[in-house]
Amino acid sequence: MTSFLATGPSLGGSRVGAWLAGLSLRSRILLISAEVVVMLALWQLVVGVFRWINPVFVPAPLSIFSGLGDILSSGAVAANAPASLQAWVVGFGLALVIAIPLGLLLGVSLPVDRIVGPIAWAIYATPSVAYQPLAKAWFGFGIGPVVFLVLVSAVFPIMFNLAAGIRTTNTSIISAAKVYGASKFRLYPAIYLPSTVPFLFAGLRQGVVLATIGMMVAELSGAAVGMGALIIRSTNTYQVGQAFAAIMLVVIFTISMVQVTTLVERWVAPWTRGAGK
Amino acid sequence: MTISSATGIIHIDPDRRPIKTSNTTWRIRLTLVILAFLLIWQAAVAWFKLIPSNFLPAPTEVSVAFGELVVNPNFWSALAFSLGNMAVGLAMAIGVGVFVGIALGLSPALRITVAPFLWLLYSTPKVALAPIFILALGLGSASKIGLVFLLAVFPVLLNTMEGTLTVSPSLVNAARVYGASRFSVGWKIIAPATLPFSLVGIQRAVALGFTGEILGEFLGGAGGIGHMLEYAAYKFLMDEALAIVFVMVIVSNLSLGLISIVRRKLAPWDTDQKGM
Repeated sequence: MTSFLATGPSLGGSRVGAWLAGLSLRSRILLISAEVVVMLALWQLVVGVFRWINPVFVPAPLSIFSGLGDILSSGAVAANAPASLQAWVVGFGLALVIAIPLGLLLGVSLPVDRIVGPIAWAIYATPSVAYQPLAKAWFGFGIGPVVFLVLVSAVFPIMFNLAAGIRTTNTSIISAAKVYGASKFRLYPAIYLPSTVPFLFAGLRQGVVLATIGMMVAELSGAAVGMGALIIRSTNTYQVGQAFAAIMLVVIFTISMVQVTTLVERWVAPWTRGAGK
Repeated sequence: MTISSATGIIHIDPDRRPIKTSNTTWRIRLTLVILAFLLIWQAAVAWFKLIPSNFLPAPTEVSVAFGELVVNPNFWSALAFSLGNMAVGLAMAIGVGVFVGIALGLSPALRITVAPFLWLLYSTPKVALAPIFILALGLGSASKIGLVFLLAVFPVLLNTMEGTLTVSPSLVNAARVYGASRFSVGWKIIAPATLPFSLVGIQRAVALGFTGEILGEFLGGAGGIGHMLEYAAYKFLMDEALAIVFVMVIVSNLSLGLISIVRRKLAPWDTDQKGM
C-alpha cells in the first residue's frame, strides 16, 4: 500500500489534505479506526433503526454479529470450515508441487517457454469458473471439484511469477558469478534463487487470493459441505446475517493467509524485506 | 574466450546463447505440439478406449458438438445475454472506477481516508456475495450486472489511482507555469500517464467480471452461456460442455487480446507485460 505515502500530483492544494498528509502513521490508523466505528454506527442506523435498506439483503452490523454467534454456537462453522480448509490446503499444495518445477522450466528453457507458455496463458486467461461444471461432472459432489478449482486458480500465478523471476535475473550478476568460476549447479542456489524468491512470493500471494476465489466458486455452485455451502444455505433460508458472518470468516481467512505468506517470506528470505508488496 | 592476466591464463566458456529461432518456427512447433496432444487424446479415448468417452469425449466428438453449437440459435442468444450483461456491468465499473480512481489519486484527503478500505475490499473474495445478489436482485440480468460491477470496479479504481499517483507534480507545475488550464492539465498530463494503468486494471476487471457473470448464472439460472454449460454438464453431455468451455476460452482470450491491442495503440510507451 504505497499509496499511503505517495505524494502524487495536486491540482489546487487543499488544507485538509495537507493536514492529513502530515499525520503520523499512528494517527492515521486512529483516524481510520474512528472512521470504521462511525461507518458501522451509520450502517446500523440506516438498516437496523430507520430500515431504509431492506435488512434481508444487507443486514445491520449487529445482526451480522449475532449471526456469527449463531453459526459458531450451532456448530455450523465447526461442520463446514474443516472441509473448506482441507480442500484449500490440498489444492494449494498440489498447485505448489506442479507450479514450482514447471515455473522453473518455463524460466530456464526457451522451448518450454515458447511451447508450454502460450497454452498455459490461454488456460490462465480463462477464469477458473469456466472449468467448474467439468470438475463437478468429473469429480462428483465431494471435495474433488473444490480441490480442482483451488489448484487451477492458484497454479498459474505461482508458475508465471516464478518464471518471470528467473528470466529477470540480472545478467551481469550471472556473468560475474561465471567469471569467479561458479558452476551451473552453484549458479542456481547462489544467483537465481535469491533474485527469484520475491517473484515467487508475489505469485504465492496472488495464488492465495485466487485460490480462495476458486474455492468459493466451487463451493457456492454445488458443494454439500464447506463455507460456500453454508453461505448458500443461510442465504436461501433468509438468514443473511449468518451468511454475512460466514463471508466475514472467509475474508479473515484470506487476509490471514496473505499475511502468513508475507511472514514466511520475511523468515525464509530476509533480504526481500521492504521490496515490493 | 581466453584472457591473459597477471595471474595466468583464464579460460572462460562463451555464453551459451539460445540459437535464434524465428517466431514463425516457434508457431509451427506450437501447432505441432497441440496437434500431437489432440492426437494422443483422440487415441486414448476413441481408439484404445483408455478413458470412457462419456467421461472425456474425443476431440472429434467435441468438434462435432462445437459445430452443432455454432448453428444453434439458442447458443447465440445465450452468448449475447452473457456478453450483454458483462458489457453493461463492465461499462459501469469502468466509468465509476476511472472517475473515483482519478479523484482518489488527485486528493490526498480522500486517499488517506478512503483508500485503505478499498484495498481491503479489493483483496476480499467478493464472489462469496453472489448468493446475496441473487436473493436481492432476482434471477434476471440485474443480479448478474450487479455482480460484474462489484467484482470489476476495484481493479479499475485502484489501478487508476496508482496511475494518477505516478504523475510527477513538477510536470503539473510546469504546465501551469506555461498557463495550462485545469482541463488541459487533466487531458494532456494526467490522462496519458494514467491510461496504461487503467487498462491493466480493465484487463483484470474483464476476467473478474466474467467470473461474476458465469457464477451468477450458475446460481440463478435464467439463460446465459454459464447456465448452458452448467446444464450440459449436469446432463453429462460432456462433448457439449467441453465445446462451451472452449467458447469461453476463446471469448476470454479475445477480450484480453483486444485490450492489449488498445493498450499498445493508446500507450505505445508502456511496456507490454501480460497484466493479470
